Amino acid sequence: MQNRNILIIGGGIAGMEAAGQLLRLGWEPVIVEKNERLGGHVAKWYKLFPDMMSAADLVQTLTDGIKEATVYLKTRVASMNRLKDGYSVVLSNGVSLQCSAVLIASGFHLFDAAKKEEYGYGVYDHVITNADLEAWFGGAPDNRVPANPGQVAFVHCVGSRDLKAGNAQCSKVCCMTAIKQAIEFKERFPGAQVWCFYMDLRLFGKKYEDFYINAQKDFGVHFVRGRVSEVSEDIDGRVVLKAEDTLAGLPVKLRADLLVLMSGMLCNSDTAALASMVRTEVDSDGFLRSRDNIYRINESRREGVFFAGACTGSKTVPETVAEARAAALDIHNYLNGNA
Amino acid sequence: MPDFGFSLSKSSSVSLDSLDLGLYGELERLEPGVKTCMACGSCSAACTASVWSGMSVRKLILNLQRGKDVEKMLGSCMLCGKCSMVCPRGINTRHLILSLCRIYKKQ
Amino acid sequence: MKERFASGFDPFVLPFLLGMIFVLGYCAYGIVRILLQLPRKDRRRFLLSLITPHIILKNVWDIFCNCLLHVKLWKRNKMLGFMHSSIAFGWFMLILLGHIEVMAYCPDRIRFFYYPIFFNYFVAENESTIGGAVLFFLMDFFLLMILTGIVLAVVKRVRSRIFGMRRTTRLSLMDNIGLYSLWAIFPLRLLAESFTAHISGGSFLTIPANWVFRQFLGNDLNMLPTWWAYSIALGVFMCVLPFTRYMHIPAEMMLIPMRNAGLRIRHPRKGFARIEVLSCPGCGVCIDACPMSVKKANIKDCTVYLNRQIRRGNEKRIEEISDKCLLCGKCEAVCQVGVEGPLLRMEQRAMRKYGLSQDFSGLDVSLLAPAASGAKVLYFSGCMTRLTPSIGKSVTSVLHKAGVGFRWMDEEGGLCCGRPLQTAGRYEQAAQLIRKNEELILGSGADTLVLSCPICYKIFSQDYKLPGVRVVNYATYFSELIASGRLNPVKSDICYVYHDPCESGRGCGYYDEPRKLLGAIAGIAEAPMSRSESVCCGGSLGSLTLEFAQREAMTRKSLENLYASRADAVATACPLCLATFSRYSERPVRDLSEILDLALKSEKASDRTVRG
Repeated sequence: MQNRNILIIGGGIAGMEAAGQLLRLGWEPVIVEKNERLGGHVAKWYKLFPDMMSAADLVQTLTDGIKEATVYLKTRVASMNRLKDGYSVVLSNGVSLQCSAVLIASGFHLFDAAKKEEYGYGVYDHVITNADLEAWFGGAPDNRVPANPGQVAFVHCVGSRDLKAGNAQCSKVCCMTAIKQAIEFKERFPGAQVWCFYMDLRLFGKKYEDFYINAQKDFGVHFVRGRVSEVSEDIDGRVVLKAEDTLAGLPVKLRADLLVLMSGMLCNSDTAALASMVRTEVDSDGFLRSRDNIYRINESRREGVFFAGACTGSKTVPETVAEARAAALDIHNYLNGNA
Repeated sequence: MPDFGFSLSKSSSVSLDSLDLGLYGELERLEPGVKTCMACGSCSAACTASVWSGMSVRKLILNLQRGKDVEKMLGSCMLCGKCSMVCPRGINTRHLILSLCRIYKKQ
Repeated sequence: MKERFASGFDPFVLPFLLGMIFVLGYCAYGIVRILLQLPRKDRRRFLLSLITPHIILKNVWDIFCNCLLHVKLWKRNKMLGFMHSSIAFGWFMLILLGHIEVMAYCPDRIRFFYYPIFFNYFVAENESTIGGAVLFFLMDFFLLMILTGIVLAVVKRVRSRIFGMRRTTRLSLMDNIGLYSLWAIFPLRLLAESFTAHISGGSFLTIPANWVFRQFLGNDLNMLPTWWAYSIALGVFMCVLPFTRYMHIPAEMMLIPMRNAGLRIRHPRKGFARIEVLSCPGCGVCIDACPMSVKKANIKDCTVYLNRQIRRGNEKRIEEISDKCLLCGKCEAVCQVGVEGPLLRMEQRAMRKYGLSQDFSGLDVSLLAPAASGAKVLYFSGCMTRLTPSIGKSVTSVLHKAGVGFRWMDEEGGLCCGRPLQTAGRYEQAAQLIRKNEELILGSGADTLVLSCPICYKIFSQDYKLPGVRVVNYATYFSELIASGRLNPVKSDICYVYHDPCESGRGCGYYDEPRKLLGAIAGIAEAPMSRSESVCCGGSLGSLTLEFAQREAMTRKSLENLYASRADAVATACPLCLATFSRYSERPVRDLSEILDLALKSEKASDRTVRG
């Protein structure tokens, strides 16, 4: 009789959605999550664009869908061996199991903004990242956010499209996130002046352009095309940004009460180890390599190993969820011999 | 020519059909990295000389690409290397400037 | 003792004689040419030094130690030291003893160049006297010494790793001819002297060998071909010498007196530079030392190859090699003869022609002048520090905590120190910037200039003229503040390994002060390669052409060396090293000022509780 177990590495939204779908298709997913709770990055987020849906609600919906799945928290995959039809897996908590397919949904990690030394993250008092701001929106106290900010600057592409930061790729979601957060910020502090420093605005998805227009029209967010190159601090502890307004062709300087760095998405640091465990490849961008990038994004080059979500590249939430569903169906078809 | 009360000045628009890219072409050969510039402006913002001069590597590259003169900007570079430190595309801007100075021919 | 030939001549000496005349003539011509290439002042200085007693003594001593005994090489690598000194010193002793023999037994023959070399062919049985026996014993002894050296040299060619060298120089055709003829000389000498040992006498090597040969080659006529071969090997070696790396033998004997006379490189190719280039023995010690050699593609850009290309006049390669170098100075630090690799390269860069040159002479610096205040201390952070704000913030924080009244001279931007222009060979432009900065500093009324960037520190301490202003590195200044009790840091438990930045370390010999400061505020460990052997982080501005992507391997290699110290974190004193290391390091990287500021934070907290 066929083994019904399917190993899902990563309990973020991709892993959870895939597990929910696989349950419905009659399989027995086993989620292995290294953190102490499910939901991944989305669980730490406040609201999701473009509908401003509560991230917590989404995670709750997904959690409800996987009640019957086996979930191991604070657990990693220790080793994995290929069998004739499936994999034999040993987990870091001592559990060993056999599964007939593996879904890697290990996601991404946020670029460590301190690595961009010139922005002074961790050095100056009022420099935070997009994730910090989102947590603050969600109610977590953060004394770096001033009580009554006059000016706020968002710097796009921190750790994205930057060879020096080790990531030449566009993280694709940060432009939209910056605009979303700029609007949310304006909603809380209508008197604040919000400045977005961008290289290119990449607003490609449904309703994204509307957000841009709203930010300009209804919220008066200022957009400057130029990459901030250095940040200093004045006597009052405010951050001083230097950039070039490349459209006006002028050097510009801004004193801000808060600087928000839009950290980009990098492949998770343990992905390479996972890849070598199942003997699949890492792509030139550091993410996992799919069979192809058009029709078989969910499939690895190894039989029985599938991908979902940001482990193959930066993705938005709807893209990740859709991919997880597709992966579940791919696995179902593969195990039924329909692939 | 009769006086019409106004005169026509030379058009300030650049004709992309008839650009003289001799200098830029030579620069591309010496420092191929120049091709990857995405005009983000990091170099100009970081430039030490920009405080007291109009120096901007971004403008320099764009002006060359549009066949314009860049002598004035080039003349204030101190080669401090900040621009090459911040360039997200890893362009060797110091070598770019040194190469340009070498091949520069005064009109 | 008697001479075998009344004429004192045999045609076999001709190859040697020709080679000797050629090489002596060549060297004489070379010396005259180089003397003429020297600027008049330098020439005078050099010639005067040759008649100054203490310099003469120093010259003789240095030549003896370096050229014959290879003392420096012994210190670095015992096997290599033994190999080189056994050949050089042994050969020197053979020549010296040959002359003593001639002087002792047939002084009238000393006017023949070849007599001391081929003495054993021309005389008969003089080992019977005690003096002869001793001399013959010494001759065989030194010959044996050379032969062991040659055996080692052969082994080294095949397996350089035994000598601790990962990579050695790839030899040119001429070098190979020189090498093989040199190797041939001494076995052939042994053979030749052995064949004649029953006539001329010999010692522990030659007499047993002679006995063996005479078992099957009884005829005395057999001896002549070996003497011919010996002479030919000598002749070939001397004829090719000027075109091989063995030119370093005469050149170094010239380089040492010139250096002792205080001469410096004044022209990229002529005079002193020429002598330095010729003095390169092509040993390849600089190859393993060069941080770029971590990538195989860069090996041909090490100093040994620069010297070779300069000798060949290959302008394209000279330019490539000169521009690629990081100017970290490690090749110079390890060089046995003291070739100034970085300076030579800067000189090559300086000889370029530019269609457009920067000109800062007309710059009005009044706009950049620091706001007037009574502060006597100026802090100059330099351009790069603006990209590593942690340094600027920590330095100013420490100065505030010590209660030092200071001004941050380039807080709002300023002029570059000029060192980057200097390393690019733009000396004139660098000098203009120096003058402008001098104007700013002297105009400020300050008496102390604190620097946190080693690139700035190098040029400020060596090329600026700032009468009445003390130029001080922040590590020294902070140590003084601690010593005088104005700062009371709490020593941290974290163990740091200190990375010597190239510009302050090898550039200024500034090794102890930063360690003193670090030792006072945290634990300290040493990397296997540190101080003058420290490995460049790969971020150096010295290189004009190295691309960003090409530098990563160098940074990782440098970090490997630092990790080997088993320290918890890396400490450095350079914004460029900090930025470069932080990019790839798995362990924390901090500037000295950051570590000090952290050590002061805890103190401040305790102060507050005491003051209540």
